[in-house]
Amino acid sequence: MNRNRKFLAVTGLAAVLAAACSPASSSDTTSSAAAGGDASSAAGGGDASSAAGGASGDLTIWSWRVEDQKAYEKIFATYTASHPGVKITVKTFKSTEYNTILATGLAGSDGPDIAQVRSYGQLQPTIESGSLVPLDGKVDLTGWDENVIKSAEGKKDGKLYSVPLAVQTLQMFYNKDLFSSAGIEAPPTTWAEFTDDISKLAAKGVTPIAVGAKDGWTLPIVHQVLATPRFGGTAFETAVLDGSKTFTDKDFVASLDVVNGLKDAFGKNVTGVAYTDAQSLFTNGGAAMFPGGSFELGFFSNQNPDLKMGVFQVPAPDGSPSDTPVTPGYADGAFGLSTKSKNSEAGLELLKWMATKDFGQQVVDEVKQLSAVPGVTYSDPLLQQMADNYKNSPTPYLLLTDFRYGTPSGTDLLGTGIQQLLLGDKDSAAVAKDLQDGLAAWFKPGS
Amino acid sequence: MRRSTGLLFVAPALLLFGMFLLYPMLTAFSYSFFSWGGTARGGFVGLDNFVTLFTKPPFTTQVPRALLHNVLFFAGTMLIQNTVGLGIAFLLYRRNRTRRALQTLYAIPYLVSPIVIGYLWTLLLSPNFGPVNTLLGKIGLESLALPWLGDPDLAIWVVIAISVWQWIGFPVLLYGAALGGIPEELSEAARVDGAGHWDTFRRITFPLLVPAIGTVSVLTFIFAMEAFALPYAIGGSIGNPAGATDFMSLLFYRTAFDSGDPNAIGVSSALATLLFIVIFGGALAATSVLRRHEQKITA
Repeated sequence: MNRNRKFLAVTGLAAVLAAACSPASSSDTTSSAAAGGDASSAAGGGDASSAAGGASGDLTIWSWRVEDQKAYEKIFATYTASHPGVKITVKTFKSTEYNTILATGLAGSDGPDIAQVRSYGQLQPTIESGSLVPLDGKVDLTGWDENVIKSAEGKKDGKLYSVPLAVQTLQMFYNKDLFSSAGIEAPPTTWAEFTDDISKLAAKGVTPIAVGAKDGWTLPIVHQVLATPRFGGTAFETAVLDGSKTFTDKDFVASLDVVNGLKDAFGKNVTGVAYTDAQSLFTNGGAAMFPGGSFELGFFSNQNPDLKMGVFQVPAPDGSPSDTPVTPGYADGAFGLSTKSKNSEAGLELLKWMATKDFGQQVVDEVKQLSAVPGVTYSDPLLQQMADNYKNSPTPYLLLTDFRYGTPSGTDLLGTGIQQLLLGDKDSAAVAKDLQDGLAAWFKPGS
Repeated sequence: MRRSTGLLFVAPALLLFGMFLLYPMLTAFSYSFFSWGGTARGGFVGLDNFVTLFTKPPFTTQVPRALLHNVLFFAGTMLIQNTVGLGIAFLLYRRNRTRRALQTLYAIPYLVSPIVIGYLWTLLLSPNFGPVNTLLGKIGLESLALPWLGDPDLAIWVVIAISVWQWIGFPVLLYGAALGGIPEELSEAARVDGAGHWDTFRRITFPLLVPAIGTVSVLTFIFAMEAFALPYAIGGSIGNPAGATDFMSLLFYRTAFDSGDPNAIGVSSALATLLFIVIFGGALAATSVLRRHEQKITA
């Protein structure tokens, strides 16, 4: 018995050592991200092993979009058709393990030539390791959305390191049938109309707005969809970045009050409702509205092809510094050139092409995402509407675009904060203060 | 056998152990003493990363909170799993016909991945669709239809309950085997001397089970301190709701993989080292206490 026990204890310990101590072996913990993951970067399944080509003109591209591999291959086939000397291989890896695999790949000798990389803060570790070639003066992004370009830049040196691929926009989805059955003709254009519509829908017995507040990451999105004009959107971003305002500003606090004020519209026990529950509630007609990202569209229409969906920008709440409704957005994914690429000339050519409308249009048509390239058109009317809204009244998804450059991240802080707000544990002022204090750990205004 | 011959036989195992466990462990340990720019190692910074863990937000609040949840998780799991597990094992041990079948049944959840278990339970406990609350409503117990995973005061206990439900088969099996190893003569002799059921259990069976209880405790401790999959499946990487189900390993995950901090490797390695020290120290202390106790009963 004694011997047996010791053996068990030792094997147990050994397992802990392996799991707890090595960053490399910690990837096994990330393999399990299916249930609670952040869907704002769509995750995939499956795996692929890698072998880089050797002959000149061969390019290997790594990506985490396993589900888009076919689409990527099709898109790049049109490129190789016009560039006979170039051969392109696309390798995809499970999204949740991709960061680790890429970091190892870029540090070693058998990594990709072109790597799909993360955006904003999550791109910084890759840049800091010196793995990506600066693209200033080589790739032309004139006329691109500023907020999108920022996603591809190094925080420290301000240089461009990647070509953004997709854009996600945040807006309110609504169920057209539920709206008309509640006697609502068109999406609201004033805040009074919006709250009035909520009462009408609640009277009909449906949940007016589906929110999965159990999953904290969805809440900063809900906040921005409902209340961006209340804190001032882009103007507030500028002020908070240069230090003339902080998150304890009365307008930001008031924007949190807007979310809390709509608590009853989210249904009972909202902090117990998971993101996936909220999605189903909306697609099966239990809820009339869903504040979410453009990345929801594909899932919603797959889940319920008969669902008559529309999108709208929530009107500015009373007392907002600006009356214009806006569409928050952020860049999602980009491609960069590895400093270790043996065919960097060919790689650079390909990156240049990725910044053209030709490539952007193909991404739209094949991958069914909003492209980061300006001026592309969409066959899906809802995608077109979301793209137009963002083009006409863009604003950053602030906590993601500017406050994910350190620990704790702004989205984590605000997600937890809004949960406390909805639970009644804290008031808006306290949540705003927690956000400000948390970010102060790494964020220095004016830098 | 000569000592060198012995060494020769264990050499392959030692080599593998060194290569795949010792070496990565020591490198990870060394990572915590450097500053990092992504995957590029910067200068030696001594204990700076550890100082960060104890002096800088969010770690000053999140490390104690996560550690507390780990400890609660250990205490809760330990209390329920050991008592209920021992009870079940004791009852099963007396059944000859259905023992195997029942042991297998108890162990089945233990064979399913914690990620799946966590996901299933979030569905079962969902306030919108969950059968648990629907059932409670149907039988007139609406007042008990709580937002199980949505209330921060409740969520951690629900996580503990789910974990116990999943792992209960493990102590049942272990205690079952230990009970089987106790010679029947001892309890027979006690009974002849006039001891009742309870006295026999308390004075004969229980002391002889202490080594098994020790094993379960140490393993539960290690398991609780490095819990990841179940809390992740239930509360995501930030320990929803409002950090109520945050654990050390989730904090490590956030620091290492979710953060835009270029020095993520440095700080997260420091965190891993800290966690290792807690687990190793705890396991070592528990083992030495148990060994002393064992020597007492075998003497």
